[in-house]
Amino acid sequence: MFRIPFLVALALAIAFGGGIASAVWALKATVGFGSIAIGPWVAFPEAQTINADPYAKAHRARAGELLYGGAEGLMFSAQTDDKGQKLQATCSYDVTGLTPQARFWTLYAANADGLPLRPGSDLPSALNSWTVLRSENSNFTIHVSPNAQPDNWLAVRHAGTFRLVLTLLDTPTAGSSGLIDLAMPVITKTGCGDA
Amino acid sequence: MRKVLFATVLGLVGAALLHIIIILSLPQFTGRDAYTRVLGLLEMDSFFALTSTPGSTGLANDDPYLRAAVCSFSISDGPARFLASGSVPFWSLAVFDSNSNEVFSMNDHTAVNGKLDLVVATPIQLVELRKSPPEALAQSIMVEMKEQDGYAVLRAMAPVDSFEEQVRNFLAESSCEPFRR
Repeated sequence: MFRIPFLVALALAIAFGGGIASAVWALKATVGFGSIAIGPWVAFPEAQTINADPYAKAHRARAGELLYGGAEGLMFSAQTDDKGQKLQATCSYDVTGLTPQARFWTLYAANADGLPLRPGSDLPSALNSWTVLRSENSNFTIHVSPNAQPDNWLAVRHAGTFRLVLTLLDTPTAGSSGLIDLAMPVITKTGCGDA
Repeated sequence: MRKVLFATVLGLVGAALLHIIIILSLPQFTGRDAYTRVLGLLEMDSFFALTSTPGSTGLANDDPYLRAAVCSFSISDGPARFLASGSVPFWSLAVFDSNSNEVFSMNDHTAVNGKLDLVVATPIQLVELRKSPPEALAQSIMVEMKEQDGYAVLRAMAPVDSFEEQVRNFLAESSCEPFRR
């Protein structure tokens, strides 16, 4: 007797439940298609343009961030180290190497939503291309750690996972699809806990 | 049993349709996209400097070294003109339409003499401006925008703390006004 209403309810429940859940999941999981990945670093050079795919447009409308224009810069973010493991706030990491060509770059740590971590005004929470200390061959090594480090220290005071955000300002790479050949700094884990 | 299977498949097809509809229509009704947030600052036709902590509309300076100012504008009555000058290590400007699509972006190296002087106009207004170019716009960069409403983001860089004041002055003295002959 309740067979037909049950079947209709089942179909509707799957349609609405599945449709809404999959849309929310898709928007949380990624910023859209058209990403470029160099090691763990991911950027979306077309996310702010009219050519962005529907997922990117929906995502940016939900996030409401002020995105960088093509001539302004390109923002890379890394959620994992070079071995593919999530960046943990209790662990220490070394960011080593060179950035692609750019007039300036800035590096800071952010939480899962992309908001910058603010460990306190007395701790170094960010670095840029002017303040970073370099070796003779102009490479740099940045120690991302909850504990104080010599040379370039990026302090992280957070619980759980975090991401690193590297913004290249006025970079020719923003408009180039040949970005895949470029080298980004390497993120290696140096230890966890208080060690 | 076969009817249950049929209902499940029908449900999955409906879910796929709904997924597509949600993704495509979401930009129209989130109510927290960047343009709505900029409008929420209630500062039409002038640059509003953002703070480092999220304000009432959730906009903030995300990058620790970049200070941003936003301005919403409308060119339905006439072109909009953006002006800024000063010595900061780096500045950049991006103009977006009301759907947050990039219309134009530039930085201090692509500007004339390192000064910001930009006019955003509709195609018809641009024809008018080109026909009889006003003296004041001799050095300006002209940009065509098909949509009537939009917002601009002006960013300036303070790589070390001693630049804070210069950057603050740069953003405070920048202007975003309707252009009148």
